[in-house]
Amino acid sequence: MRLTRYTKPYINVMMIIRVLGWLLFIESFFMLIPLVTAFIYGEEEYSSFLWGIGISVAAGLTMTLLRPRSRDMGKRDAILLTSSVWVVFSLFGTIPFIFSGVHSSFTNAFFESMSGFTTTGLSIFPSLDGIPHSILIWRCVMQWIGGLGIILFTLAVLPTLNSQGGIQLFNAEVTGITHDKLRPRVSSTAKGLWMVYIVLTIALIGFLLPSEMDIFDAVCYGLSTMSTGGFAINDAGIGQWDSVYIKIVFTVFMFMGGVNFGLLFQAAHGHMKPLRLNDALKWYFRMLVTAAAVLAACIIYTGNAQSLADVTVTPLFQAVSLSSSTGLTEPGFNLWGPLAQFVFLCLIFIGACAGSTSGGAKVDRLIVVLRNMRNEFFRIMHPNAVVTVRVNGKGTSSGLVQKAVNFFLLYIFVIIISGLLLVCMGLPLADSFFSVLEAISNAGLGVNIEGVPTDYNAYPEAGKYLLTLVMLAGRLELYTVLLLFTSVYWKK
Amino acid sequence: MKIIIAGAGEVGTYLAKMLSNEEQDIILIDDKQERLDIIDSNYNLMTLNAPTSSIQALRDSGVENADLYIAVTPYESKNIMACGIAKRLGAGKTVARIDNYEFMENDNRPLLSDLGVDRLIYPEYLAADEICTALEHNWARHWSELHYGHLLLIGVKIHSEKCPLLGRQIREIPASEHYFHIAAIRRNHETIIPNGSDRIYRDDIVYFITAEENADRVREICGKTSHYIKRVIIMGGNRIAVRFALQSGKRFEIKIIEPDRQRAEYLAQRLPDCDIELGDARDVDTLRDNNIEQYDAFLAFSESSETNVLACLTAKEFGIKKTVCEVENLQFLSLAESLNIGTVINKKIIASSRIFKLLLDADETSSKTFALNDAEVAELKVKEGARITRKPVRDLRLPYGMTLAAVVKGNSADLVSGNTRIDPGDMVVVFCLTGTIHQVEKWFT
Repeated sequence: MRLTRYTKPYINVMMIIRVLGWLLFIESFFMLIPLVTAFIYGEEEYSSFLWGIGISVAAGLTMTLLRPRSRDMGKRDAILLTSSVWVVFSLFGTIPFIFSGVHSSFTNAFFESMSGFTTTGLSIFPSLDGIPHSILIWRCVMQWIGGLGIILFTLAVLPTLNSQGGIQLFNAEVTGITHDKLRPRVSSTAKGLWMVYIVLTIALIGFLLPSEMDIFDAVCYGLSTMSTGGFAINDAGIGQWDSVYIKIVFTVFMFMGGVNFGLLFQAAHGHMKPLRLNDALKWYFRMLVTAAAVLAACIIYTGNAQSLADVTVTPLFQAVSLSSSTGLTEPGFNLWGPLAQFVFLCLIFIGACAGSTSGGAKVDRLIVVLRNMRNEFFRIMHPNAVVTVRVNGKGTSSGLVQKAVNFFLLYIFVIIISGLLLVCMGLPLADSFFSVLEAISNAGLGVNIEGVPTDYNAYPEAGKYLLTLVMLAGRLELYTVLLLFTSVYWKK
Repeated sequence: MKIIIAGAGEVGTYLAKMLSNEEQDIILIDDKQERLDIIDSNYNLMTLNAPTSSIQALRDSGVENADLYIAVTPYESKNIMACGIAKRLGAGKTVARIDNYEFMENDNRPLLSDLGVDRLIYPEYLAADEICTALEHNWARHWSELHYGHLLLIGVKIHSEKCPLLGRQIREIPASEHYFHIAAIRRNHETIIPNGSDRIYRDDIVYFITAEENADRVREICGKTSHYIKRVIIMGGNRIAVRFALQSGKRFEIKIIEPDRQRAEYLAQRLPDCDIELGDARDVDTLRDNNIEQYDAFLAFSESSETNVLACLTAKEFGIKKTVCEVENLQFLSLAESLNIGTVINKKIIASSRIFKLLLDADETSSKTFALNDAEVAELKVKEGARITRKPVRDLRLPYGMTLAAVVKGNSADLVSGNTRIDPGDMVVVFCLTGTIHQVEKWFT
């Protein structure tokens, strides 16, 4: 029991650094995948990954040598640690980019790396053709780690964090208004979620192998799609194959990537009831079907329908891709007309279910906000009526409603402020806001709403850093990151 | 071990936190979301918002695999019913918090076990029991029995300048024979598990382990005198006060000062042998009017921990020999202990440590008591081939933060000295800092 006599809040910096050190070992372990790839393809980039592993391990060792006075971690420590883990991972993730010289500057490499870990999928490469395999797979591995969450992975493997501090970290990283646990111990919860994730990823790769893709494509797309990150590995993207089968497989798995993994876990254990009762899942599904129907109408109206697949699979694929924040795009999606563009914007903004690998403001919150709005109308007509917002068949507290509404407002506020800053840096209005929306929802399309590829290389340095910050804030659902910029965090 | 706790009140919450830190799988059930929110987001456990006696909630929490079901809501009948349902659904062992002494009586126990309630926990009874002990052994801060009462754990605050222990290293303490073992020292909100080179300073609370018959020699060496306590004045007639008055029978003359008229009238009916006075014991004049200086002990049981601490300090000013102070506020506990106010009682800790003991009785190789809030006493059984049996104690190089206090071989309990050899099958009383028990257990298996 710590006696609070400090004027400044106590932050256990030593312990945070030590945990970051352990985490760097995990990152260097993941760098083995591109290293092996480099050897298989006989690429000379293996040396960049050796450097990457070497530097991460060395830094990790130095950091874990620290002996903190206390091992306790409170809420403040957890918030700082969670935010800094993502930054540190991105920093060390740039090492292979820098040593192999694929990026012209550190800023570019950091942008790419952060875009990878936060599963945004915005790329600064003007062209992906000619980029070595090892670098390509490293980008996909980054997305795969970031998909479910770095902290969540750590909780599953590091027994030290299976304690009070661990639960704070869990809360700081996992998305959603409430954070439901699957098991009493946080490490078992994390293990359960990761099992679902790993099984889904393997299944996706398994389904992609019999298609036109080769093994390398299947693994890369498997990693980047399951995490709903959406890094492409070639310039043509998904359009290179033009295969209905691939699109169907992607649609199914991106959809699952947008479902709460807790529900999938329970379903895998034979508990179907929560799956049926879940409002978010129902709405997510309805939203996608409606969006796909509108898109299909747009396709027909603009005369882009050539086959049956063009009005069934294609619009559904596009809707799921945007809503789950994967950001894979159908070639020619920009030709579907302004109504289609509006649907895209809505899907990117809303995102999918909380507790999944997707980004956006989340369907769960939208339900609460809309139902609260309906209640407000009801209250005006019946001032004495006591009504609650019902979610999953149960009434919720007004605190939860407030949280959801506040989050929505903050989300919009961040988009406006960041968009405004980009405009001030001299970027076109539509592009600025669209980039921010892509970044905050972690749904990097790589093209603007008109379908013109965005040249992030031409963005000013400050603009690039702003976007990385927005990506991180979006991935950790704003509060964890933005708290660090408030006096509430730093003052008693 | 999977443990379901129903009721996130004070006892339930404290127990859940403690057991979660002991790496048990905890599910905490309560029907008030607000109570669960904080603990859910800060502790490594799972919470469930549902009525505690809801059958569906019990099923959802997986009661069929639970090793232990603990019902600690404030409502006795709810607890008993919930335990009954949990037992029928397949819970291993059930514990219910009760509020009625009748249930504790041996004749009535089969009735309850038929209902599916294995163990009972009665926090007020336990607290009253502890207060009786504290008044009986009023020179000690802490007094508890280990190993069926053959060994005693006695915590004493060292005040007296004449005490021969002061300022000395523990290994230098002159003793013709080894009749006590210093197991822990509490100094400035911190617990020290001492080794031979630690010293004892003034105002330390020193925890001795000693055999029953040597308790008086420990008292002498600490420079304490024992008082005979007859007249007791109680501030606040809460449930502990009632239980204490009923339990101690005619042993004490008791006066209760209660500020609330209704409550005072109830007390007068319930406790005809006690004097009940309407008034506020925070007021010095009230105390004076009641001739406080003629009383031997002052017990402070008001709702506010702060008031209790201050009232005890005031009572000490009047020359009362023994004060007992209820401090329910855990943050206050170590501060209260460091003040000169005698025994500090915390219902939560008493109840939780009893439940903890019940829980560990399940595997029968160890049992633990919570004497302090950051140290533990464990009785551990030594297994065949354990590391601790390899050498005599002095050559073992035991880690910092643990000390072997006593060893029970067969039926006789002895204190551990450097030459003691521990054999498989012995029961060893170990003192260790909270959180190190896992390291300690490695030595015994």
